[in-house]
Amino acid sequence: MKIKHSLFTRREFLNGLLGGWLGALAATLLYPVIKFVFPPYREPDRVNLVFSDYQDMAPGAIKPFAWGAKPGYIKKKEDGSYLAFVGVCTHLDCTVSYKADQKKFYCACHDGWYDEYGKNIAGPPPKPLRRLHAEVEGENLVVKKEGVA
Amino acid sequence: MKAKNIGRSLAGWFEERLGLSAVMNFLRKKTVPLNKHTIWSYTGSAILLFFGVQVVTGIMLAFYYKPILEEANKSVARIMTEVPLGWIIRSVHFWSASAMIVTVFIHLFSIWMIKSYRKPRELTWMSGVLLLVVSLVFGFTGYLLPWDDLSLSATKVGTDIPRSIPIVGEWVTKFLRGGEDVTGDTLSRFFSFHISVLPLVLLLILAVHIYLIQKQGMSLPLSAEAGKEKQKELPFWPNFVYREVIVWLVLFGALITVAVFLPPSLGKAADLMAPAPKGIKPEWYFLFLFQTLKLFPGKILFINGDTIAVFLIVAAVVLFFFLPFLDNKPDRIKGKVITWLAWATIAYAIGMSVWSLLT
Repeated sequence: MKIKHSLFTRREFLNGLLGGWLGALAATLLYPVIKFVFPPYREPDRVNLVFSDYQDMAPGAIKPFAWGAKPGYIKKKEDGSYLAFVGVCTHLDCTVSYKADQKKFYCACHDGWYDEYGKNIAGPPPKPLRRLHAEVEGENLVVKKEGVA
Repeated sequence: MKAKNIGRSLAGWFEERLGLSAVMNFLRKKTVPLNKHTIWSYTGSAILLFFGVQVVTGIMLAFYYKPILEEANKSVARIMTEVPLGWIIRSVHFWSASAMIVTVFIHLFSIWMIKSYRKPRELTWMSGVLLLVVSLVFGFTGYLLPWDDLSLSATKVGTDIPRSIPIVGEWVTKFLRGGEDVTGDTLSRFFSFHISVLPLVLLLILAVHIYLIQKQGMSLPLSAEAGKEKQKELPFWPNFVYREVIVWLVLFGALITVAVFLPPSLGKAADLMAPAPKGIKPEWYFLFLFQTLKLFPGKILFINGDTIAVFLIVAAVVLFFFLPFLDNKPDRIKGKVITWLAWATIAYAIGMSVWSLLT
């Protein structure tokens, strides 16, 4: 049945109502499932390393550390200050290694190369390695996200 | 309405290849007898609802659960505290398990009393008894997985019971435990049973069970079969299905409500060397068996009391399995006695459970 000037019939209206309600019900059931499936991940705000472990590094040397669940590298610059990288290739997420003899980071997955400052120089990586801020605070070498005070 | 046309031609394409309209036509012709017993016809689909909830929440829990000695309790704690909405997923799994067992028992006793297992439905009943056993084993294996002191003790006791069966008992206990004692190997084994062996077995028997019900149609009560009263009928599709959906929604709402307000607890991680905690009890659906076992003295004449108890329980289950053959004259005095036995069984189970809870 369709009332004059109406855009839809009574059946269409009721079907829409029932369908919409079923859709809403399905959404309320699906929401907690999706929430559950994705565990919270929080990148660390800062990682405190024991400074004495890194104090004796030669200028230009590179040493690994853990940035939360990701691998990281600490580099001692020529002027004695520190710099940190997330050791994850920007191409497809493999862990990179540091080739000390060539002073380059290397990703074995697809032959990606970065220089000692993390700049992508050869192979598929589209971006430089992600940099982190590192500085000495008392007895700690503190690594933070870049731009975080 | 262009989308509608595309939908129709897609449906036609699949219909040409799958021929699923045969199923639909069958369901359209299927009817449900309408009488004072019709309410019990909803219990079967209610079990399916709770089973479906168990499958979905179980898969989800397995995403985070770790069936390893050192990790099991910790991973459940993590589900309860860190994983988004983890506590409610576990709570729903916990409560839905109990709800499934409750509906299984209601389903079974209603069939016993209406005597729907009469010829030719003996196999439907027997497959149903197997499904009950599988459901109880599901509960038993799931109870160990959080690996707290209660679940460890319950599993030690539960897996020790088969030992009193002559000849094979020792072997059964070793098989269940994966060795002499309950250890981390038992945990892995129970997890494997709980998430792969039992689901496969249950689905297989369930397929037979449902096939038989469709093949034979819904049974009529004794009085109707004798032609004393004229039967009303309800089309299965869509009338009965819509009513089932309403029942599902109510049950599902009740389940979620209980799960939100009464989440299950988690004891501290089980220590294999620690003495058993006081007052251990199995899950509620094993209480009457637990209490029955307690009643038997250590020795009766020259035989181990437990052996006799286990023997009696096994005999009861076997009789129960073959019930349709024992109840072969349902309208005679024997049939009436067997109906009263159903009531007696319910009274016994409830009485023993209450006794167990009070002591």
